[in-house]
Amino acid sequence: MTGTALLFLVLGLGLVAWIVGRARAATFVRAAKGGPRGQVNSLPSYHGWFVAVCAVVPAVLFMFIWQSVSPALVTNMVLSAPVAADLPQDGFSRAAILSEARAMAQGLQTTAFQAQSEKLAPLYKDALSYYSWIGMAGTLVLLFAGGAFAFTRLKPDFRARNKVERLVMLGLLFASLLAIITTLGIFASLIFESYQFFSMVSPFEFLFGTDWNPKSVVTPGADNGYGAIPLFWGTIFIGAIIAMLVAIPLGLMSAIFLTQYASSNVRKWMKPILEILAGVPTVVYGYFAALTVAPAIRDFAVMLGVSNAASDNALAAGIVMGVMIIPLVSSMSDDSIAAVPNAMRDGSLAMGATKSETIKQVLLPAALPGVVGGVLLAVSRAIGETMIVVMAAGYTANLTANPFDTITTVTVQIVALLTGDQDFGSPHTLAAFALGLALFVTTFFLNYVALRVVKRYREAYE
Amino acid sequence: MSLCAWSNAIVKHMNNATIDPTPTDWNGVVMQKRIAKRYAAERRFKAMGFIAVALSTVFLAFLLFTMLGQGLRGFQRTEIAVEFDFPALTSGATAASITGPNADTTLNSMDIPGIVELAVSQQYGDQGSELLTSAAAANVRQKLADNPQLVTAKPTLWLPADSRLDVAYKRAGEPAAEKTVAALEQKDALRSGFNWTFLTGADATDPSAVGIWAAFKGSLMTMAITLLLAFPIGVFAALYLEEYAPKNKLTDMIEVSINNLAAVPSIIFGLLGLAVFLTMFGMPRSSALVGGLTLALMTMPVIVIAGRNAVKSVPPSIREAALGIGASPVQVVFHHVLPLALPGILTGTIIGMARALGETAPLLMIGMRAFIPSAPQGFTDAATALPVQIYLWSDEVNQGFVEKTSAAIIVLLIFLLGMNALAIYLRNRFETRW
Repeated sequence: MTGTALLFLVLGLGLVAWIVGRARAATFVRAAKGGPRGQVNSLPSYHGWFVAVCAVVPAVLFMFIWQSVSPALVTNMVLSAPVAADLPQDGFSRAAILSEARAMAQGLQTTAFQAQSEKLAPLYKDALSYYSWIGMAGTLVLLFAGGAFAFTRLKPDFRARNKVERLVMLGLLFASLLAIITTLGIFASLIFESYQFFSMVSPFEFLFGTDWNPKSVVTPGADNGYGAIPLFWGTIFIGAIIAMLVAIPLGLMSAIFLTQYASSNVRKWMKPILEILAGVPTVVYGYFAALTVAPAIRDFAVMLGVSNAASDNALAAGIVMGVMIIPLVSSMSDDSIAAVPNAMRDGSLAMGATKSETIKQVLLPAALPGVVGGVLLAVSRAIGETMIVVMAAGYTANLTANPFDTITTVTVQIVALLTGDQDFGSPHTLAAFALGLALFVTTFFLNYVALRVVKRYREAYE
Repeated sequence: MSLCAWSNAIVKHMNNATIDPTPTDWNGVVMQKRIAKRYAAERRFKAMGFIAVALSTVFLAFLLFTMLGQGLRGFQRTEIAVEFDFPALTSGATAASITGPNADTTLNSMDIPGIVELAVSQQYGDQGSELLTSAAAANVRQKLADNPQLVTAKPTLWLPADSRLDVAYKRAGEPAAEKTVAALEQKDALRSGFNWTFLTGADATDPSAVGIWAAFKGSLMTMAITLLLAFPIGVFAALYLEEYAPKNKLTDMIEVSINNLAAVPSIIFGLLGLAVFLTMFGMPRSSALVGGLTLALMTMPVIVIAGRNAVKSVPPSIREAALGIGASPVQVVFHHVLPLALPGILTGTIIGMARALGETAPLLMIGMRAFIPSAPQGFTDAATALPVQIYLWSDEVNQGFVEKTSAAIIVLLIFLLGMNALAIYLRNRFETRW
């Protein structure tokens, strides 16, 4: 029986438990009828929920734990068999044979490429079915035990509602804790893999080296081509300079026009259009940048006399990324301009200032912290953006400030390092995690500062 | 505070300035010039604002028109007329032999690819077999299965042309292909038809035989997992944080994590999925299950933030009334607050799901970029997703893939715009002003 089928069986039995518990409580209610009120503490459905939760939750937890433990147990059982004694000692070919045998045992593969895996396949099949039977039996035993335990506790004065509500609260708390768990998971996995990487390549070379040409076999002490400065520069150049040169003026001016000048009719139509711009997937932007914008810019550069203009130039990726960010800058500026007290604006207008003078000399300086916060968020979004640069920017690390030249970024290199046919422990894969860590720390810092600035600013006017 | 600084500045200014007793001549040339200058600056500023909005709109329009212009051709295919003399080609198969339960085995034993090749080369010469796409034989087989009577007749079937001819017929292609197309056009043997394969097929090496159904199904399965996980968890977290959370360090940490997770680059979630789901838990690589889990982690904070705003907008009087007639705190929330906040939560969920549907980078990290020639059957099968398929096709050298990429983008955009429109509709329809 597969995991999915077992899960449905457990849920079905949970429904049965609910019905049984509810029916049992209904008999209490009937018995109490005519007698003094308040004998039955909780509504019948709460009794039902109590039985169902006691039955299903431990069973499902056990199922998930078993699902993650049993592969190791299966492999152990297969390896302890006498046939497995003559497996090659070297880890890689051993793993290949084992995974092939497993695929054959599960029926995913019919013919073996390695003779040994054919011998191991029946062993695997036995071990798999042995452990899946244990898992199934354990799940069902837990289910019935939990259900029976809960059922015996049902009494007219049993406080089923309080029990169920406490469980609900626990569930809500757990759901909120998942956010922390995810953050810690990201941090832990990035740190762990990066630590392994930095035990091979010195952090000094990674952070300050200017040569990015990663070798798949590293020698300690030598230059291994893991100097990430060109990547950091490329990321900043495309995401924080070119994209922002497009996004800040356009986003800010759009927000000013839509909030201060446009009639409500224009605003009603233009705001959704800007929102559409935010809703277009980045892969579409990337395709557009690579197919239409980049060749146009290269032709333009050649016309200007820049002979070495690349077709995967930094400018195309930066401009398209800037357009993608416009809605973000615009909506953040919109919010912060709207938060400036009307009295300040009215005061300025009453003194005879024109609208644009009021905006430039009163509204914008007052809204500046909010706008800066929005720009920081936009930068964090731009440097983490992947698809546009993967499709439109290049793969060659280049320490140049020429926007018509090809340039690569951190995210491009993460994709490039991880999509080759690499073993998980290879320096290439680990380097991707080190780059990921650098990216995560930077964006975390930017987001934290931005949110703090925006929050402070809101409080200042409240 | 800033007002204070202002008044200080004004006082300072008044002390320093030498006061000129003559009144300002507002109608004088100097003043009129100055006002004209200020008004011109005003007009310039307004025009700049207008240009900013117009540029964004023009860019969007340009993007959509480019995609439409290229993509619509992707829904069409070029077909070539081929006459099949089935009685001669199949050495007298009868309609009865390819109906009924044994139809499949009979059709398999008929060597349809050979028949097609023979028919085409009889009609168009030795190079004939290069005219048709590799999927043409399957096409003929389907036609025979649908209409067994054909096998005793001499029908003219329209079969999909090879990708090179397809490109040459729609726009400029290679010179050799152009010549072939011109020759075929003279014989009236070419026409354009709707490319059903594109909607029902899977990835292939030949651009005239590709389809998006496999990728689309992969996307649907991934989204199903994402929704099943992210929606309940997001709603529960939002309810806890808005309704029950005490003000303490733990709550602050949860809030900081959620706000941060909502802004973490999506590729980082891909790295998490790779390190935790694939390497640590050993889940099947490039499956819809792992894709859904990864995207669920990414979507959850979006739903939490939208959910909190929706819950916050339910007025306290509702809660107090429910508490007043004896509901418990849990009953207040699940019987009264949640139903009233649900439209807002759903709007946020749809927007979050639309973002997840367009997401590519995390799926690349967990290996959903494999060549998938058939639709996935289960959640643990190797699958790909629509945006990833677009990325893969955009990398192909073959000219025929350009229009297929744009056509796939059109399909993706239709779905995303549809979801966003639904969200806006829900917001307008069910939004309650208290």
